[in-house]
Amino acid sequence: MQNFKDRLFNYEANPPESIWDSIASELDSGDQKVMQMPGLRKRSRFLFYSLTAAASLIIIFLSSLFFEKTAKKSADQATTLVNKNYDNRSTVVRAKDSLNNITLEGIIKSSKNKSALAQTQIGKQKKYITIAGPGGQPVKISSKVATLIVSADNDYPPKAIWDKRINKWKQIMLSSTLSPTATNLLDIAELSSMRGDN
Amino acid sequence: MNNLSDASNHTPSEPDLIQACIAGNRQMQEILYNKYSSKMYGVCLRYCGNTEDANDLLQEGFIKIFKNLGKFRGDGSFEGWIRRIFVNTSIEHFRKKVKLYNVSEVQENTIEDTDLNVLDSLAEKDIIALINELSPGYKTVFNMHVIEGYSHKEIAELLGITEGTSKSQLARAKGVLKKSLENRSNKKSNDTINL
Repeated sequence: MQNFKDRLFNYEANPPESIWDSIASELDSGDQKVMQMPGLRKRSRFLFYSLTAAASLIIIFLSSLFFEKTAKKSADQATTLVNKNYDNRSTVVRAKDSLNNITLEGIIKSSKNKSALAQTQIGKQKKYITIAGPGGQPVKISSKVATLIVSADNDYPPKAIWDKRINKWKQIMLSSTLSPTATNLLDIAELSSMRGDN
Repeated sequence: MNNLSDASNHTPSEPDLIQACIAGNRQMQEILYNKYSSKMYGVCLRYCGNTEDANDLLQEGFIKIFKNLGKFRGDGSFEGWIRRIFVNTSIEHFRKKVKLYNVSEVQENTIEDTDLNVLDSLAEKDIIALINELSPGYKTVFNMHVIEGYSHKEIAELLGITEGTSKSQLARAKGVLKKSLENRSNKKSNDTINL
C-alpha cells in the first residue's frame, strides 16, 4: 500500500457540479468589471488631470486679469484723485488769476493815475492779491507791489517786468555792503545786536 | 490556437490552455477547471472540516487562478502553482477563523512518523476524517508539514507564528492522531471480540 502522505497529497474528490457555474458567473461579472473599469479608470484619470490642468490655467489667467484690473483701477483712481485735487486747485488759482488779471488789466488800460487806482481797486477786494509767477506758479503779492509792477510798464501780463525787477533787487542786494554774504553775515548780526543794545 | 473552439474534441497543450484561459475563453477555463478541480477539492477537504467550506475554497481558489494566470511564469509545474494558490487560500481561510498564539518552546514528547504508519493501512477518506477531528491549528500545520512538505520556517512565515509554535502544534497534532488511532484500534478489537 502506498504511503499515506503520498495518497493524501494526491487525494482527489469530485466537487459538486454547481461550483463551476458559480465560478463562471463570478468570472462573467468580473469580466464586465474588468472590461469597463480599466478603460474607465484610465479615461477618468486622464479626464481628471486634463480638467485639473485646464482649471488651473483658467484660475491663473482670471487671477492675473483680476489683479491687473484692480491695480489699474487703483492707479486710475489715484490719478483721478490727484488730477481732481490738482484741477480743483488749478480752478481756484485760475479763477483768482483771472480776477487779478482783470483788475490789473483794468489798472493798466486806465488813463487815470494808475498808482492811486491800483490802491483803490485792489484795496476794495483784499490786502493781498495772487498773480502768476515767472514759472506760472501762484505768487501772493501786496497791492503795493502790484502798483509797482503796473506803474513800471504797461506791458501785460507783466512777467518780463517782474523778472526784471527781481533781478534788479538782486543786484541791489548783492552790491549792498549791508546785505548778508558769507563773509559779512556775522558782522551784520553783531551790528544789529549792538543797535538793539543801544 | 485556431482549433480552440473545437477544444471539446481534444485536450489542448498546457501552454495553449493557459493562453486561452488568460484570453478569457470560457470553454478553455472549464477544461482547466475539470482537469484540476478533483485534486484541488481533495486539498480543500484536507484543510477544511466540512464540505461547505471546501466548496467555498474551491470556488475562491479557481477565481484567483483565472484572474492571476498571467502571473504564471512557467518556471515550475503548473499544477504546483495551482496547488500553492489553494494552500494559500486555505491558510487565509484558516487565519480568518483561527488565531494561533505563539507559545514558549516547550519540549513536546516526540512522536515519530513511524507511530503514524498505521495510517498507511487506512483509506484516504478515513485518514481525512481523522485529520478533520484535529483542531484547526493542528490540522493546518499537520497538512502543511506532513502532507505538503513545508518546513517549519515556511509554515511560521505563512501563518505568522514562530517556528517553535509550528513545531509544537505539529507534535500535538501527531499526539492527538496517535491517540485517535489507538482508540480506533481498541474499538475495532472490541468489535471483533464481541463478534
